[in-house]
Amino acid sequence: MTLTVKEELIKRSPLRVLEKSISGGLGRGNIGVLASRKGVGKTACLVHIAADKLLQDQHVIHVSYASRVDHIVTWYENIFKEIAKKPKMHAALDEFDDLIRHRVIMNFKQDGAKTQQVLRSLEAMIVHGNFRAQTVIVDGLDFALAGPDDLLKFKELAGRLGLEIWFSASLKKEDPQFDERGIPYELAGYLDVIDVLISLQHHGDHVHFNLVQDHGRLAPKDLQLKLDPTTLLIAKDVPVRAR
Amino acid sequence: MTTDIARMRNIGISAHIDSGKTTLTERILFYCKKIHKIHEVKGKDGIGATMDSMDLERERGITIASATTNVEWGDHSINIIDTPGHVDFTIEVERSLRVLDSAILVLCSVGGIQSQTITVDRQLRRYNVPFIAFVNKADRVGANPLKVRDQISEKLGHQSVLMQIPIGLEGAFLGLVDLVAMKALYFDGPEGEVVRVEPIPAELAAEAAAKREELLDAASLFSDELTEALLEGRATEDLVRAAVRKGVLARKLVPVFIGSAYRNKGIQPLLDAVVHYLPDPAEVENRAVDLDGEGEERVLSADPAAKTVALAFKLEEGPYGQLTYVRVYQGSLRKGEEIVNTRSGQKIKVGRLVRMHADTMAEITEAGPGDIVALFGVECASGDTFCSPGLNLAMTSIYVPEPVISLAIEPIDKAAADRVAKALNRFTKEDPTFRTHVDTESNQTIIQGMGELHLDVYVERMKREYRAEVRTGMPQVAYREAVSQAVDFDYTHKKQTGGAGQYSRVIGRLEPLAKGVFEFANEVRGGRIPREFIPSCEKGFRAALRKGPLIGFPVTGVRVVLNDGQYHPVDSSDIAFQMASQGAFRQVYMKAKPQVLEPVMKVSVEGPTEFAGNVFATISQRRGVIVSSVEDGTFSRVDAEVPLAEMFGYSTVLRSLTQGKAEFTMEFLKYGRVPPHIAEMLTEQHLEAERKKSQR
Repeated sequence: MTLTVKEELIKRSPLRVLEKSISGGLGRGNIGVLASRKGVGKTACLVHIAADKLLQDQHVIHVSYASRVDHIVTWYENIFKEIAKKPKMHAALDEFDDLIRHRVIMNFKQDGAKTQQVLRSLEAMIVHGNFRAQTVIVDGLDFALAGPDDLLKFKELAGRLGLEIWFSASLKKEDPQFDERGIPYELAGYLDVIDVLISLQHHGDHVHFNLVQDHGRLAPKDLQLKLDPTTLLIAKDVPVRAR
Repeated sequence: MTTDIARMRNIGISAHIDSGKTTLTERILFYCKKIHKIHEVKGKDGIGATMDSMDLERERGITIASATTNVEWGDHSINIIDTPGHVDFTIEVERSLRVLDSAILVLCSVGGIQSQTITVDRQLRRYNVPFIAFVNKADRVGANPLKVRDQISEKLGHQSVLMQIPIGLEGAFLGLVDLVAMKALYFDGPEGEVVRVEPIPAELAAEAAAKREELLDAASLFSDELTEALLEGRATEDLVRAAVRKGVLARKLVPVFIGSAYRNKGIQPLLDAVVHYLPDPAEVENRAVDLDGEGEERVLSADPAAKTVALAFKLEEGPYGQLTYVRVYQGSLRKGEEIVNTRSGQKIKVGRLVRMHADTMAEITEAGPGDIVALFGVECASGDTFCSPGLNLAMTSIYVPEPVISLAIEPIDKAAADRVAKALNRFTKEDPTFRTHVDTESNQTIIQGMGELHLDVYVERMKREYRAEVRTGMPQVAYREAVSQAVDFDYTHKKQTGGAGQYSRVIGRLEPLAKGVFEFANEVRGGRIPREFIPSCEKGFRAALRKGPLIGFPVTGVRVVLNDGQYHPVDSSDIAFQMASQGAFRQVYMKAKPQVLEPVMKVSVEGPTEFAGNVFATISQRRGVIVSSVEDGTFSRVDAEVPLAEMFGYSTVLRSLTQGKAEFTMEFLKYGRVPPHIAEMLTEQHLEAERKKSQR
């Protein structure tokens, strides 16, 4: 049986590598965090994760703080364009208009938005708005403002509504940012709530993905993934080998 | 009256419905000595402001909200062009934006940027219109003009800069600090007509100095001269203004002014700003489409001696007979000279030419570039372009969106019927998106337009302006049919019963067309169908498209490729090939997997955050797709795409669900596929109606 373009895209996505490393994926009711310094590429990664879910016909809510909605829309357009640039994938772009209807952007102003209110609106969107989201992307939550309690409330909602929630966490501390186990100092207090923690770090001209915590296990591991600087997609980091 | 083009301004006042546009316009007229007493808009909370302005007009016989009003400020002549507030009136908006050179964007100190503001901003952007911002209602409880200034940057994405800071706010709003002159301004006298200039109050000195720094930083980006002068400590007011002006003209800087029209504060400085920062007609590049070429654009020159190009942008039936408002872009309109309507090709002679003031009009013999004047007794439609003989240009795009909604109307009595006809005749001339026809089957008069409100307004205008009352039916959505799969056809039309026979055969392919309504490609070789009958085939297909077999609505997005056929030397004719084409269409249409399309609207709902859940629910119940929701503290906005068919009566539902605290706007977005179960229902309804008709 031949695969459709979409199935092919899903199968070949480097995100499958990520899933394999974290016991099959983040999983419903769980919290995943991508942590790095500002400007390393967290938003790009989150949007790539969201786009991958959309390709699998899932519904995604993209929660953002303080960023303009039209910018987020452009992110998705660009990521889909990049995905479709791969050989023989042009046909996928035709489906973009349909797929994107399964994504809702919810924008909150940080100073005015208490976690309680954000969660209320999220639940209203899913329940009253009848929007059957399986994945929620939360970009730009200030972890210094929102403590572990706030994250716990997100996790409670994730459990109750069967959601996977991916966060980005911006690390602001001066070097060193990570302790000897690779845990960002700023997130040390959150480890109990976080199921999957991945840090993004510059290595020369590449951004590397390090798995710090995997479903309760502290398991430092290089994920063999990188952020492609031109496409801003997550890509497999194949070590150069002599033929 | 000046004729110096550098002293002319053609401006629009663009605003959200409650931001106080009527009050501001009223004050401008007063300070420019066009009216002698300020009359308050009834209901000072601003509810129903548009209606108030209409009532005001009627009571006082002046034309505040009319096509244009001319005022004089110092030695400058300012034309204020009315800009319709609602998005339903797309054509009118387009037209008025063509006519004005720049705008004042009025914002509310309390409400800030709202969805209509965003719509207005998008229109200004689309037509490249430079503007300044006026943050009104600084006297209101909760007023925060500085926050609104930040929103101009955050929500609209414009580089903005404060030109003034308020002295006090809310009930204690006393005056303004002018950051260019570094002086305090107070507005004395019973109507604020005396501007008193004082030194800056000590407690505001530091803030004023800081904000002036910001202003100078922003302005110096546009002028090396100013940058140098600043370094040498010799920056003059004129240098600062010239730099800001450059920024405004390039649409790279939005200077922000503050005031309260209701309290008579800040209007005179705003009028000064119109003169200082907004362009004169010669500083704006205007283009027209060359109808002789392949649609290339020509840049017009503001030279009074050049050949004339003018646009008729509004028709008005006033107490003086029919008036046609025109704006001159190039050359001059002179009494007695001949001009050509480039749409109809009709030549006319310029007769009476007048310049409109708020309450009077002045006869003139000549109008130059930038002028806005009115012609008497000219037969034309609004949107028509007039040129000197020999030029063939069009100022407005020929593209007119198809109406998305229709309504059956019926005059209540015989006397009303005549007046309805007169009114419809007028409205269709004024507004190409408003159409009317008599349905041949039901014998009802049908009006069509761009939205429920669009039609409501015309029904209301019939009553008010023509005393023509009508009963209305249920609004009907303008569905479309479209094919989704290519199919081949081969159809023979034969008729041999008495008289001359008919014979024709057409062979080809019917396929979906991504963009456009209909395309016809002739690939017949070797004269298999004689050339003279090819147009007959096209005509036949076009006729078939008018009423789709599925639900009886027009078929769109079809490409027909004709590649073979047969004819008979005697029995083939124009009509025979038309019949064959129609037959071919009917024969294969259902095999082409036809789909029903419906108009989908872009809907934006705004209101307090506590009702966001209710709003989500209303969208979801209406087959809508929520695109985004934005929450800013207690205020939220939901943007969605919703089928028009589901939007009837939405304003009532929304009002009752949110205690009247939420409002919405909508505009046509696209045609989208109707879900299968609804398409099936529509098909059944159509079949049922057809059955009934045949039984009759």
